[in-house]
This record gives sequence, C-alpha cells and structure tokens, in this order.
Amino acid sequence: MTVMTAEITIPEPVLGHYDRPMWDSITARAMTLQRCTTCNQMRYPPGPSCPICLSADYDWAPLDGGATILSWVVFHRGYLAAYPPPYNCLAVRLDEGPVMISNLEGPAPEGSWIGQRVRLCYAKEAGGRILPRFRLDRSAR
Amino acid sequence: MPDRGLENIASVVGIGQTDWRADWTRSRAGEKPDDSVGYAATAFRDALLDAGLHRDDIDGLIVGPTTAYERMGEVLGLEPRWGTQADAVNAVLQACMAIRAGLAEVVALVYGNDQRTAGTQYGGPQASGGANYLSYIYHAPWGLTSQGALYALILRAWTEARGVTPAEIGQVSVAQRQWARLNPRAIMQKPMTTEDYLAAPFICEPLRLPDYCMINDGGVALIIAESSRAAQITDNAVRIAAVARQDINRGATSLEPRMTEFYLPAQQASAARLWDAAGIGPQDVGIAQIYDSFSVHVPLALEGYGYCPVGEAGRFLTEGGIGPGGRLAVNSSGGHLSETYMQGWNHQLECVRQLRGECGKRQVANNRFAHYSSDVAGKATSILYARAAT
Repeated sequence: MTVMTAEITIPEPVLGHYDRPMWDSITARAMTLQRCTTCNQMRYPPGPSCPICLSADYDWAPLDGGATILSWVVFHRGYLAAYPPPYNCLAVRLDEGPVMISNLEGPAPEGSWIGQRVRLCYAKEAGGRILPRFRLDRSAR
Repeated sequence: MPDRGLENIASVVGIGQTDWRADWTRSRAGEKPDDSVGYAATAFRDALLDAGLHRDDIDGLIVGPTTAYERMGEVLGLEPRWGTQADAVNAVLQACMAIRAGLAEVVALVYGNDQRTAGTQYGGPQASGGANYLSYIYHAPWGLTSQGALYALILRAWTEARGVTPAEIGQVSVAQRQWARLNPRAIMQKPMTTEDYLAAPFICEPLRLPDYCMINDGGVALIIAESSRAAQITDNAVRIAAVARQDINRGATSLEPRMTEFYLPAQQASAARLWDAAGIGPQDVGIAQIYDSFSVHVPLALEGYGYCPVGEAGRFLTEGGIGPGGRLAVNSSGGHLSETYMQGWNHQLECVRQLRGECGKRQVANNRFAHYSSDVAGKATSILYARAAT
C-alpha cells in the first residue's frame, strides 16, 4: 500500500548494487566514495571495479569537500514538483578527481561560474533526505 | 578497396516516410493518427514503391529502437534471413555489415515513433532511455533529468572555452529554419532572425526554445542493397562510401567527456577513419547532416570533423555560414530543429535526396558527397554517402 502525503519530495536516488554505502555516508554528513586500493583512483558513481586499472579492490574514503565548477545551467521550465523553476544545476570536479552533478546553494558568483571554487555542504530536504550540494568557497582566492 | 572494409559495399535504393506535416497537424489537433508500428509500415510501403521492389525482395530487416522487432516483422509480413534492432546511424552501419558478411542482400530499415501523441518523456524521473543511459536518471535527486540540461551543460562549457557568443550559436537555429522554409516537408516554416532567436525564452539556460528539437510523430524507412544488386534495381542508387565510429565512455554518467572535451577526441578519431576510408577530406564535402537533438551538436561536429579548425566554429557559423548559400550546407532539410525529430532517420533521407538531386529549391549543386554525423551519448559515428557514378 502506498501512503499518500502532501509533502513534495525530491526524486529518489538510483540505488544500484554499489550505491548504498555512499548514500549512508551522505546521510551521516560525511560523504565517502570508493577508492581503488590498487591505483588510488576515486570513482563516482559507485561501481564494481576501477575504470582505470580494472581492480575490484577498494575501500571507502572521505571527501575533502573542495571542488571546482566545470559548468552550470538554470532551469526555467519545471519538470519536477520538488524543483520549481528557476533553479540551478552544476557540474563540479571534486579535488579527488571525479565529476559530480549537484546544485549551488546560497549566493551565486558574479559573472561566469566556471572555475569558481566551491565546498561540499549537506542540505536536508523535505522528507528528511540529506543531499550533497555545494556553496561558494569564500576562503578561495 | 580494402579487403574487409565496408566502403561502397552497399547502396540506398529506396526511401520512404509518413507525411510529417500531416502527422504534426493531426496530433496538434488532439488526434492520434497512428501508432509507432503503423507509422513504420506506412514508410516501408513508401520505400518499396520508391525502390520499385516487392516485399519478397527484402531478405534483411532492421527495426528502429522504439518498436518491437518481432511485431514489426509480423505486421510487415517479412520473413528475413537476417535481422536486428538499432538506432538510425547504427542501422545503416549494420546493414552494410550484414551485406558485407553475406547475411542479407536487400535490407529494409524501418522506424516509427508516436512520441508526441504517446507523450514520451525525455525529461523527469521517468525519462525515456534511463535503462540504457545511467546519466539520464542518476542526477534526478538534484533536479537534473532533462535531455536539454545535459546539452545546456555542454553548451555553457563549450561557449566559454571557445569564446562563442549567443548570437553565434543562434546561427544554427536560424540557418536550419532558412533551410526548412525551402523544404515543403518541414514542419517549422515561420521565419526566424537572430533577434528572434535571442528573444526566445530559455528552457534550460543557456539553451533557448529554438535550440531544442521538434518532437513529432512519424515514420521513416530505407532500403539498402548490395551495390551490384543496387545497380540492377535503380539508376539513382546512393552509395555508402564509408562509415566510421569511435566511442568515448570514461566518465559518461557524470557527463565528463561532454563537458571537458566536448566529445572532440572521439569525433577526431572517427573523422580520421572516415576520411581515410573514403580517400577524401572535409574540403570535398558540400553537405553535412548532423544529428541535432540540440543545436550544440552542430558546432562540435564542425570542429571534430575538420570543417573548421578547433576553436573557430563560432566564426564559421557567422562568416562561412551553414544556411542556404553558405560554405557548408548543414541540415539542409531543417534537421531536428525545424524539419522533424525523427531521431537521425530523417537526416538519412536528406542525404539521399540531395545526392539524387531531388531537393528543389534547397538543392545543393555540384556536390558528390553527403556526410552524416551523430555523437549521441558519446558514440561519434559517421556515414559518408556518395552520388551514383556519373
């Protein structure tokens, strides 16, 4: 039976065979990603083996939280009840290497966002889900 | 001819389609003219007629990705000795492969799509294709689900890296609308200036409404035959001179090869193979049909295939020009932006029509080759069509 609530929640994350430990770490506000214990490469999204060296050995390593914006967009059309337009999405390169899609919280940069330094933060969404997002890193020059 | 290549192995002997403008008008009026298989069946009958062939001449079948293979074969009454399912560009490649391998001699390629009347979702949590492309659904918790958003991210990064202005990228939509207005089959006929483009609303900024493809119902069919057989079937066969493909998958779910490299390494590798196989270069080609679910595909292919130096696509769009009378005729039917979004299938018809010389007011003169390029989801794939030997 589906319980209907008036609360509008964000779409559920994809939970493949390897995703759950990452989401558990996000819920604990200490996001980790798989790190290949053969070549040290970190990967996102989680998966069975290292795309660089094909090793299946890994551990879960914490993110430092620093990242750089690669690109950004602003939705002017709504596709999701939880995201009324306008809202932004951005792509960041984590300092550990992987690229991640997320949102910018708080103040936006003047002019281009590309190359701006950001830091990982955790947002509590309706329904209680914790979502990793980013804020401008004011300490960056 | 290389021993194991696909060069000149096969030729297009027949093309067919539904009446896209009628499909559009009726679906806009709230009717449902047909289902996907029905559209494909109409296009198939049209292609048989065009080729002057009987159904029993067909011994291979390739069905587009939106319909079930078995049901399509049942409806068309085909009992082929070989068959498969593929998107437009890979359907043509696989037809050549099957013919090269002797698995079939006359292959029907059929596509039908009721995407508009069926309300196919290309955005949102139920986005079509999510089972095959993790990137379409993985970022949904952050609100990134639409196909447009993926391409908006590319366009933003690419225009900043290259210093391309909105007015320059707008030339893609403007030029393709100019072509559409010379094409009686194209749906979008309203004139569009650069000012109109710049005044159009953002959907997913920096993409504006005219940067998006024209979703519509319809069908397309091609009949591809072994080249010596093709010469017996018709005197206006269009040869498939060369094909090439290079994939780029690393970082695909996070869109990395789109945003940081703009698929350039894959396009350049595919281009090197294509031009080498055909023994020509981009300077010998007057017509390029470029898969354009969004406008940004076009400049990436112009740079990737060497129609202009890397970094100069913005200038090429404004100074060389891709519209009527321009340096390179790009998407001369209007393409997905203005003719109809038949997922790459309508571009194949335009290549054939241009090389047959059937294009009326939009006919490109003195041209032997038409190049089709697709870079969907990191598969940089090309087909080079050539005019029948004169």
